[in-house]
Amino acid sequence: MKLSLDGCKLLLIHVVLALVATAMVLPFTWMVLASLKRLQEIGLDSWIPTVFQWENYRDVFTMRGVQFGRWYWNSILVASWVTFLQVFTSSLAAFSFSRLKWKGRDLVFLLYLATMMLPSLVMMIPNYQNMIYLGLVNTLQGLILPSAFSAFGTFLIRQFMMNIPSSLDEAAEIDGASKWQLYWTVILPLARPAIVTLTIFTFIGNYNSMFWPLVMIKSPELYTLPIGMLAFDSSQGQQTNLLMAAVTMSIIPMILIFLFMQKQLVKGIMLGGVKG
Amino acid sequence: MLKLTRRDVREISTGILFLLPNILGFLAFTTIPLAISLFMAFTDWNLEMHNMFQNQELRSVGFANFKKLFTDPDFPTFLGNTLFLMLGIPFGIAGSLFAALLLNNDFRCSRMKRVYGIVVLTVVLIVACGMLILAGAGSTAMTLLICGIVGTILVLGSVGGQTVYRTLFYFPSFTAGVATYILWKKLYSPENGPINNVLQPILDHITPVAASMSPATAHVISSAFLIVMGLLYAYAVSRVIVSWKNGETGTLSYVIALVVLSIPMLCSHLWCSLPWGGALGLSLVTLAVLFTLLMFLTRREYKCVYDYGMSNAIVLDGIVMVGLFICLGLSNVFLALPEMAGGTDGLTAPKWLSDYYWAKPSLMIMGFWAAIGSNNMLLYLAGLSGVSQELYEAADIDGASPLQRFWNVTWPQLSNVTFFILIMSIMGGLQGGFETARTMTKGGPAGATTTLAYYIYSEGFESGRLGYASAVAWTLFVMVFCVTLFNWKFGNKYTND
Repeated sequence: MKLSLDGCKLLLIHVVLALVATAMVLPFTWMVLASLKRLQEIGLDSWIPTVFQWENYRDVFTMRGVQFGRWYWNSILVASWVTFLQVFTSSLAAFSFSRLKWKGRDLVFLLYLATMMLPSLVMMIPNYQNMIYLGLVNTLQGLILPSAFSAFGTFLIRQFMMNIPSSLDEAAEIDGASKWQLYWTVILPLARPAIVTLTIFTFIGNYNSMFWPLVMIKSPELYTLPIGMLAFDSSQGQQTNLLMAAVTMSIIPMILIFLFMQKQLVKGIMLGGVKG
Repeated sequence: MLKLTRRDVREISTGILFLLPNILGFLAFTTIPLAISLFMAFTDWNLEMHNMFQNQELRSVGFANFKKLFTDPDFPTFLGNTLFLMLGIPFGIAGSLFAALLLNNDFRCSRMKRVYGIVVLTVVLIVACGMLILAGAGSTAMTLLICGIVGTILVLGSVGGQTVYRTLFYFPSFTAGVATYILWKKLYSPENGPINNVLQPILDHITPVAASMSPATAHVISSAFLIVMGLLYAYAVSRVIVSWKNGETGTLSYVIALVVLSIPMLCSHLWCSLPWGGALGLSLVTLAVLFTLLMFLTRREYKCVYDYGMSNAIVLDGIVMVGLFICLGLSNVFLALPEMAGGTDGLTAPKWLSDYYWAKPSLMIMGFWAAIGSNNMLLYLAGLSGVSQELYEAADIDGASPLQRFWNVTWPQLSNVTFFILIMSIMGGLQGGFETARTMTKGGPAGATTTLAYYIYSEGFESGRLGYASAVAWTLFVMVFCVTLFNWKFGNKYTND
């Protein structure tokens, strides 16, 4: 439902919305401005730097004990691999759960769903032990593997695939397509909105994830951004201007994804939330 | 015995084949660890004794881990911290709903195009004039900066409508992570953080006023807050009773609401600085309980027609509960104010994260900032677009005011969305608090922000007591599972349609 308004009310609503939006933006404004200050200016009342120190951004990369470029790369590498693997395995499983008919399918799916509500904390401890046995502690593979399989992704894509008309399957079958061809050429392209949503969620979730890397990674050259930032903050956190420059840079990928993918993201949240 | 034809077997094998990559990973990294974890909870698994250099026999200790947990004096504190931080949930939900309601207005009605132009022009003019005046008056660059931001957002908003605001609102929750927590840690910095830079001058202005206040005035103001608290409680309880009588909420919702509302009143017995405040709280609670008992004893059962009210009652009364707490706090603050202001330093801004009492509220304020524009707002927006227009027309014919329209049409129609959000937030809240605690406070000061999740981390991975940490994790799991059961019992009837 939508309400139409008269001008005065409209203006009022605009003002309220703009004020709330300003409250959302102000911390980020301070962040960017502080990242351009000299260290002595940080505590001053004025937020605006006297001279804009763009070289702060360069200095972050050359700081001693902060391998910022390395961490950036690790983060993007891990998040990309996890996203790729998760989307691939989830879409395969979702295809099996939604487009194929086999005995016991719904029972297996129910078991899948049940695992979704398990707190991930319970699994962390034995998974750590698991990784010790596999010799993957302190490797990037150890970060990628356990996150590569998700029940949530399967659930999300399945919900979407259920709504694709089944006449398509029959048509493909008459044309003599195998199940794999049906999946690859018909269903997967049609499920694109759900796939895009899952891609964004997984990438962002993994890019931000902190618990597992914190437990797994010991050597600084293998840090991902979140734990790298944590180390930066605890070792050289007094250099607020450089720290804020690093924070700004670490948020940039998320801003880009958000701005370009906003429409799909909003749709996806409604898809996952309303049905869940 | 299940009979499988050849066709069945072929179908099953195809189905499983597609499932295989996912299910193998799932077995390896979810199902099997789960089983191990349960087993580990009953052992003395410790990284100091069982590692690659030292391989002692793993001993089964029975229920000793759980026994240790429940006799641990810290456990109630950490559970309390977790629950305390969850008090922010009702506010987050209310904020999301408020934002969604504002965003749901139609900004681009064709009839309004002209008004539109006027709005944009006015705004641009006001901002431009304001900037000129401020610059001419030699005002600081800071004022200009903030005016400029507000003006830019207004102009963008009048052009782009809902999308612009939604984008800006959604931003904090989207980027929430270690980066924004570090940012907030700097904002909260007590010596030179921007928050205290703004707050301290304001407090300096208040100090002389507060110092000159006589103790009698302080007593009166303090009592006034307690009386407001009592009235608020009485009003909230009476509203709950009425909706129970009308059959809008079930008996269970009624009891939950009553318990939620009574917690701060019972606390007033312990925390209130005024001697008669505790008596007021206790007597009001006793009255409410007696009244309920009376209704049960006289067998006046109020049959609930439907239990839509459950989540609405919890959210509303949750907000009232925090309101009661705030009244109680203000009452105490005003009683102590003259003494505080009369000290050598006058009134000082809080030390936020490094203050034992302010650490949790600091985290809650940050959480609220992120929660307004979160996924919940988008869910509410979707819910609002699903409310049938006819209901509003009917309400208009009956001559309902905008406020009545909200309470009698929108709010009940959204109750399933509210229920879903509430359950998800509670489940998240029980397991939450690790990232903020690790980044901003390390669980301190003095354990004030250590939640159960952080406790599991520090026990398991910092102290190496994996067996004990597993026991804590499973205890947490049982709590989350209770919420899930609650969800199944009351949620499915209405949320799954």
